[in-house]
Amino acid sequence: MWGQTWRRFRRSKLATFAVIYVGIMALIAIFAPMFSLDPDAIDLSNRLVPPNGTYPLGTDELGRDILARMIHGARVSLTIGLLATLISVVIGSTLGAIAGYYGRAADWIVSRLIEVVLCFPFLFLVLGIVALFRPSLTTIMIALGLTSWTNEARYVRGEFLRIREAEFAQAARASGARDARIIFRHLLPNAIAPVIVSASFGVAWAILVESSLSFLGLGVPLPTASWGSILSDAKSQIEYAWWLILFPGLAIFTTVAAFNVIGERFRDALDPRSD
Amino acid sequence: MGAYLVRRFLYAILTFFGITVATFTLIHSVPGDPVSFYIGRAGIASLPKSTIAAIKREYHLDEPLPVQYLYWLRGAVTLDFGRSVIDRRPVTERIFEKLPHTLQLNVAAFAIAALFGIPIGLWSAKHSGRRRERAAAVGFFLLYSLPSFWVALWLMQIFAVKLGILPLYGMVSDDYHDLDRWHRFTDRLLHFVLPVITLTYAQLAIYARFSKSALTEVIRQDFITTARAKGAGEAAVLWHHALRNALIPLITLLGLTIPYLISGSVIVETIFQWDGAGLLYYDAIAARDYPTVMGLTVATALITLLASVFADVLYAFADPRVRLGEGAR
Repeated sequence: MWGQTWRRFRRSKLATFAVIYVGIMALIAIFAPMFSLDPDAIDLSNRLVPPNGTYPLGTDELGRDILARMIHGARVSLTIGLLATLISVVIGSTLGAIAGYYGRAADWIVSRLIEVVLCFPFLFLVLGIVALFRPSLTTIMIALGLTSWTNEARYVRGEFLRIREAEFAQAARASGARDARIIFRHLLPNAIAPVIVSASFGVAWAILVESSLSFLGLGVPLPTASWGSILSDAKSQIEYAWWLILFPGLAIFTTVAAFNVIGERFRDALDPRSD
Repeated sequence: MGAYLVRRFLYAILTFFGITVATFTLIHSVPGDPVSFYIGRAGIASLPKSTIAAIKREYHLDEPLPVQYLYWLRGAVTLDFGRSVIDRRPVTERIFEKLPHTLQLNVAAFAIAALFGIPIGLWSAKHSGRRRERAAAVGFFLLYSLPSFWVALWLMQIFAVKLGILPLYGMVSDDYHDLDRWHRFTDRLLHFVLPVITLTYAQLAIYARFSKSALTEVIRQDFITTARAKGAGEAAVLWHHALRNALIPLITLLGLTIPYLISGSVIVETIFQWDGAGLLYYDAIAARDYPTVMGLTVATALITLLASVFADVLYAFADPRVRLGEGAR
């Protein structure tokens, strides 16, 4: 099944390009410390320098190198995007699996819980948790993870309802496997495809929200460089420093778009009707 | 129908309690002196012990947390969330003062998005798979990935700073009160343009995609084939048979997008200094104005809840399968 999905996936040039792009971004983020560039080095003699040979992406109002800050920002964005999504996938799959497998009361409680979470304006909740507890990478990841698991839970619940009485599940039960084993070894691997699609959109979403929080000044604490906080600093320079607005925004946009394209294409590739 | 509605309302009441429990628990797990929750951090240092004891009694802070919750809930069900720590005014009064400003922005954005998005979705469904349609789909997809604050910065840079034809931020100009009626109207209108564009573009993409997929789903069904078979023209099939049925899922989308709209308001209103509920929330968070934070959180969640109940009721009227209990679960 996976080989076929991947073959269908590769048929889209845009999606293949998106995968390569995300791979390059990830490499940059992983090896960021090896580029001897300091994102926080202040150089007041080189303030607001437009892009040139020494500073390919220019400098900000404190003379900090934007390229160095952007590379560091890639670390922040990808770390938050991936870990926040991991948290929401774990919470969502577990609750969805319990609801779908046990049904009845368990299903009822999880469904009501999802309803409650969906009522809150997402950003209100994340903003409130992050700012009131203490803005940091960890708080942002936890806040995002705690509030965005509902899609994963719904998908896993739906899949479990469909496959829990399938023959392989009945066979496992008949051979005396415990519930936990049936859920994690037999059912979950068969329900994981829509979760991966949802996780890809989730990473895009988490990166977007983190940059929004940092832009609003309530995200990653200063002076840590993130794409959103570079843009936030650029607000006061809007009249003349175009490079401060262009590059970080472009980085957010392309990365978010890449994850969205991957999720979209993967969903289509999983759908047998797409052939 | 009756049984369905009754159950929907009972669930809504239950969800409302869930919302209040979640909000209360969240806010009260923030570390800090509970007295400062109600009178602000600045106030607490300057007060004598006796006054603080009086405040504790007044807000029932010496009671256990579940009892405190019940006292707070008693206020919340009548939309009484106490007073703001900033200006001591009732939170509800502050919310109702700002909410119309947020609504104006969002209604305008929603109307534009639906007005353009749904016909675009129709067009896409009709030309599905063709090169032009696929290019448009990718375009909308990219539009949806654009961070709104970045778009806002460009719009401000181009239309307000460079060209100088639209105001940079605010709801009205400084000299608003000296203007005559016509210029007051145009002044307000000009201040609407940039925030509404910022709110609209992503929604437009959502509506176009959603109405396309709803319509494509309908077109696959048997009754459309039947309509074609009995000789109905392609236009009649699309407009008369398909669109009517595709509009039903759109009702649900309307209910689902409201929390996203309110979320988006925080960003847009903060950037454009639009004096609405989103900016109020941002300011309340920054000032640690807990009564306002709690009040606004519950109020906005309540709006979402009412909208989704409303959408479900509409849905039930539009779709006999729900009404008669077949698809009720």
